[in-house]
Amino acid sequence: MTPIELQTTSHLLDQQVLAEFIRHAGEIEHPREMIIDVLRAIQLHHGWVPDEGVELTASILGLTPVEVEEIATFYDKIFRRPVGRFVIHLCDSVCCWTRGADEIAAHLQKTLNIEFGQTTADGLFTLLPSCCLGCCGIAPAVMIKQQFYGPLTPEKVDELIATLRQEGSA
Amino acid sequence: MSQTTQLLFKNRVPGKTVFFKDFCANGGYQGLKTAIQTMSPLEIRDLVKAAALRGRGGAGFPTGVKWGFFPADKPGIKYLVCNCDEMEPGTYKDGVLLGADPHQLVEGMILSAFALQTQVGYIFIRYAYEKQAENLRRAIAEATQAGYLGKNILGSGFDFELHVHGSAGRYILGEETALLNGLEGIRPNPRSKPPFPAVRGLFGQPTTVNNVETIANIPHIVTGGAQWFKDLALTPDGSGTKLFGLSGHLNRTECFELPVGISLREVVETYGQGMWKNKQFKACLPGGASTPYLTREHLDVALDFASLEKVGSRFGTAGVTAFDDDTCMVAVTLNLIRFFARESCGWCTPCRDGLTMVRWLLEMLESGQGTPEHLEMLKDQLKNISGKSFCALAEGAMGPVAGLLTHFEQEIVDHIKGGRCPFCK
Amino acid sequence: MPTLTIDNQTISVPEGKTILEAAEALGIMVPHFCYHKELGAVGACRMCAVTVHTGPMPGVKMACLIAVEEGMVVTTGDEASVAFRERVGEWLMLNHPHDCPVCDEGGECQLQEMTISSGHGIRRYQGEKGTYTNQDLGPFIAQEMNRCIQCYRCARTYKDYCGGRDFGVMGSRNRVFFGRFKEGMLESDFSGNLVDLCPTGVFTDRTFRFKSRAWDLEQADSVCPQCGVGCATIPGGRLRELQRVRSGDNPLVNATFICDRGRFGSGYANHPERPRQARQEDQTVSITAALTALETQIRATVKQHGPEAVLLVGSDRASLETNWLLQRTAKYFGCRVPVLNAHRQRHQTAQMAAFDLSERLASLQDIRSSDLVLVCGVDPLAEAPLLALALRQAVRKGGRVVVYDPRPVELPCDADRVAVSPLALQELLADGGVEGRHLCDLLSQAKNPMIVAGADLLGLAGLQNIRTWAEKTSNEERPCLVYPVLAGPNSFGTALLSLPEQDDLLTRLDSGKVKMLVCVDADPLLEAPEGERFAAALTRLEQLVVLDYLPTSLSRHANLFIPTCPPVEDSGTFINNEGRLRRFQRVLKPGLSLARTAAGEHPPREFSLDTPGSDPQPAALLLQRLIGQEQTLTELHRQLVLEQPRLASLVKLKAGEAGPRVVPAVARPQSLDPLPEQPAQTLELVVSPARYGGDLFSRYAPKLEPRKRQPYFYLHPDELQAHGLKDGDAAVVETDFGSFTLPVRSQPDMALGCVLVENSEAFPQLIPGAGLGYCVISAGGTNE
Repeated sequence: MTPIELQTTSHLLDQQVLAEFIRHAGEIEHPREMIIDVLRAIQLHHGWVPDEGVELTASILGLTPVEVEEIATFYDKIFRRPVGRFVIHLCDSVCCWTRGADEIAAHLQKTLNIEFGQTTADGLFTLLPSCCLGCCGIAPAVMIKQQFYGPLTPEKVDELIATLRQEGSA
Repeated sequence: MSQTTQLLFKNRVPGKTVFFKDFCANGGYQGLKTAIQTMSPLEIRDLVKAAALRGRGGAGFPTGVKWGFFPADKPGIKYLVCNCDEMEPGTYKDGVLLGADPHQLVEGMILSAFALQTQVGYIFIRYAYEKQAENLRRAIAEATQAGYLGKNILGSGFDFELHVHGSAGRYILGEETALLNGLEGIRPNPRSKPPFPAVRGLFGQPTTVNNVETIANIPHIVTGGAQWFKDLALTPDGSGTKLFGLSGHLNRTECFELPVGISLREVVETYGQGMWKNKQFKACLPGGASTPYLTREHLDVALDFASLEKVGSRFGTAGVTAFDDDTCMVAVTLNLIRFFARESCGWCTPCRDGLTMVRWLLEMLESGQGTPEHLEMLKDQLKNISGKSFCALAEGAMGPVAGLLTHFEQEIVDHIKGGRCPFCK
Repeated sequence: MPTLTIDNQTISVPEGKTILEAAEALGIMVPHFCYHKELGAVGACRMCAVTVHTGPMPGVKMACLIAVEEGMVVTTGDEASVAFRERVGEWLMLNHPHDCPVCDEGGECQLQEMTISSGHGIRRYQGEKGTYTNQDLGPFIAQEMNRCIQCYRCARTYKDYCGGRDFGVMGSRNRVFFGRFKEGMLESDFSGNLVDLCPTGVFTDRTFRFKSRAWDLEQADSVCPQCGVGCATIPGGRLRELQRVRSGDNPLVNATFICDRGRFGSGYANHPERPRQARQEDQTVSITAALTALETQIRATVKQHGPEAVLLVGSDRASLETNWLLQRTAKYFGCRVPVLNAHRQRHQTAQMAAFDLSERLASLQDIRSSDLVLVCGVDPLAEAPLLALALRQAVRKGGRVVVYDPRPVELPCDADRVAVSPLALQELLADGGVEGRHLCDLLSQAKNPMIVAGADLLGLAGLQNIRTWAEKTSNEERPCLVYPVLAGPNSFGTALLSLPEQDDLLTRLDSGKVKMLVCVDADPLLEAPEGERFAAALTRLEQLVVLDYLPTSLSRHANLFIPTCPPVEDSGTFINNEGRLRRFQRVLKPGLSLARTAAGEHPPREFSLDTPGSDPQPAALLLQRLIGQEQTLTELHRQLVLEQPRLASLVKLKAGEAGPRVVPAVARPQSLDPLPEQPAQTLELVVSPARYGGDLFSRYAPKLEPRKRQPYFYLHPDELQAHGLKDGDAAVVETDFGSFTLPVRSQPDMALGCVLVENSEAFPQLIPGAGLGYCVISAGGTNE
């Protein structure tokens, strides 16, 4: 299978960002090294990476869709399914566990009325378990939009959710 | 409290990031200047060897020896890759360092690149460290502006370009060959060794991969000298300082720069300020999730590579996670195995399916459904997974299992006898 | 050569070999999954654990990864390795659905064998099993992911070895999936190799699904007849039906891979229209009666009109034995020598290969390890698919491939491609010029240079120049070898048997002296150019006799027809492109398949003592009966070798062997056709076989339908524009062989100044290999 044709416009990326990716891919010897960058950019813009996002990435980098999919499905932080506006990555590794992550997990599920892997009906929150986030000093912690929050208590979780709800409805 | 010289944390101000001006004001880039203007690449490599610096990423391989394998004089493109895919539970020191003082790494990268004569460098940084990645991008821009990066650095004729490469969240990328695959944009399964990266690494070219903290130490070795660096450690086998990331059931869960060879007791009692909620110390992971447990009897062990190997554990990354005496060690181990099984890349059978089996056995045991056969099976899994997987991930995963069976087998037996977890209220 | 001891047996093996290979050489089977001799070792499955007792780090090691060392001591049956392998067996079976009773892999499942040899027997894991949703991968391959043991062989076969880019590895941890981005037919022309390489029942032959148990199949070592490569195959038949074809193992030729055309293109053997009864005029007759009639007619015709009056015709798809027996038959009846290949130009180029090039022939194995391959006038995927795979292996090992061809040659690997018209290519080869000198320099400097030469496109003149280039760029240390790409499975053998400079078929027919034409496994209408001239000559004949197994139109026109057998129903020999004798053995006997006679019912409701449709006999046997000299194959070979000492190894040759080369011969002078001048305002005409349907066999292979393409006239977009045409327009192309109307298609990767058209059942009028030709294209006509 030959690589798919270059797409020069897409609703999945800002025009300027897309043009920059195309330019950069044309300049470097191994455009393939940009896969994660492009997928992350699509996700940042679109929230998740739909099939067209995989195809767009392939088109920019001169690859076939499956060559991108091989990478996209390997990494946990690339979403190939729709997610809410705020993806809450709750650390379930050992340090957070020692400091009560289970309690936070139960509280989050109750508060948001969803289970892990689900998205709230209003499309605001997706709750995902995560491996160690690298902020073991502030356990238990969550990561939302690449920002860490911790150490968490059920009260702090309520505050955080309230703030995000406000931000989400603004 | 031990006398602690601060090298990597010397500019650290909590809540703030030090950039170019402040970094330079406190001796930043002096090591680079000294090296480039007065030393040959070989002299730097020899100095690092003499300083007995050991890799800070977990495996503890002597950096000078690793560099000794590198074909620095071979013509053609060569790469220096910094491993900042810090994802092992309990390990967060690199994140703290890059949050506080990114130029420490940038200077180290340039100096190391000069020593190894590599033209291109990559800092491969985990998804969650976006803030740190931003810090690095700014630091690289500042260093480029100052002429420390790019063409003809400091008039030496040496060229070096440095890139930050992001990831998307998988622990296996911390394995150096998996990291190289990840950088290339192919599936990040580890590669077969040999060939080693020094021979065929990134894009098939000679490559060396070093941890953030390892590289950040290089300028300090150049500035202070090998003997001075060695003497920073408290034990004769040790060398230098080490970033200790404290976590778990301690009162103070922070990252400290402490001399190599400090005792576990001092780390727990002085720096960790004792156990959380006034409980008793039961055990700890001394160097990240893959290191076998230490127990109360080990409190006076010196934390360095040799001493920990002697007691059947490893220094690892010096991420110390402490557990109090209300903690079920079967549950801790299950938590850790769940992590490792989930982070398996799926390449080799012992890791992909063996860890699944171990996880199931621990689930049976922890939930009180376990039998003596399950305990025997667990021992058998340990014997057959350790040392027989494709890369070190499954090997590391069995560290806590080994610790559990060595120090806490009675706890497993109690689970079996009682038909429930004795720690569950 | 290090010497090591494995299980108390000592062996010396070449440096760099692994413990696993050394053990295999000793006959010690070490269980393994991910290792495959062609795909290499990746150390993923960990099944091949053995204990190494020597060296700095003794212990349990993976035999596939450890290179042998002098003095090494290894055991495979010690407690530690056995225990570990048992664990691996258990781990691999954690998620397995235990659906062996309904699995098509049953009976030839490596997972079954290795699980048993690992010692794992009783399931202890009681946790959840992983399950997968399967993909529809098209008509050829069925997927059943739950059976997967993640050995990664499929991806390594499809992507790494075969260069396919629409299949991959997705997911991770204990959730790894092997498949496509989206459902749909696998695009690689080598997709069927997934079936052979998958060690369990994840990828099975969908066209064979639920048809037979492997152990019930009649199987034998055979040779694929669908191009000149001569791949080893193992066809499998049951209930008088050829049900599947899988790859055999010939390390010198196809290794363990075959193309989809060969694998799924075997439908001709059971084609519903396959003629199965002898026929005289409109009357069905017995084979014996037909042979008697034939004998009588030949004798009478020769007697009445002389030796020129009976013309026997063989072909490049008829076996060596059949072609030789034709020569013997001619002698027996006192006829003039037969024409062994109706396609004059192809016969000439094949003689060039069989004589002039016979000292410097490359094998596909040579090509796989070449550092520089110049591919001249060949579209490998259409003309010799396994050659494309060989080129890919050369590139994977760091070699370079340079392609000169007018067509948009697609390869499953990187190649430097120069689109050049046939005439320009002839000139380049003849005169050289700067570019030619540069290419010769490259060849001279290479360590292991090879030239792949397409006989159809280059013709006799081109091949002669290729030979000169190869001589020029050879040196004392190494030759520059040539791999000629010929059209048929036995082009080489047919050419080798032929006598020098015989008149061609059409010249002899046009002489008017021929009264009776006997075509044996040959259809000059479809297999040779100038079909109209041939058709006209047919009207002047008194008798047309056809012996064939394909339902060609010629057989319907025959006054006397006798059904023959395809290679799967015959034992015989082909000589492939590289001059290698390739023996095939009968797989099944002729007969209407039970699936047809019983109308799908099993067991069949009607019984008879005779086998329906079992009249056909191999052409070689029919000819022997005709001349009253029935012999065993060995006796026949002994006599053949007396006449053809170049085939000395024929007598001992066995099916399933790699096959020896023919003895090289001196060059055979042949007169060259003058290169026709290009008339003004014309374009060069390039006729190429279609990838599917280009060879006669695949036209009668219903399974290949999904891969077949509509015919077009392909032109470079600039050329289209210059002629006022756009993509999809109907155009008329006037050639020396008539005018044809087809839609045009823009093809930016082809040479300027050319019209390309693919020969297939949808466009059988123009035959490849007819030499340089010109045409005029104009808009108009209607799309047919």
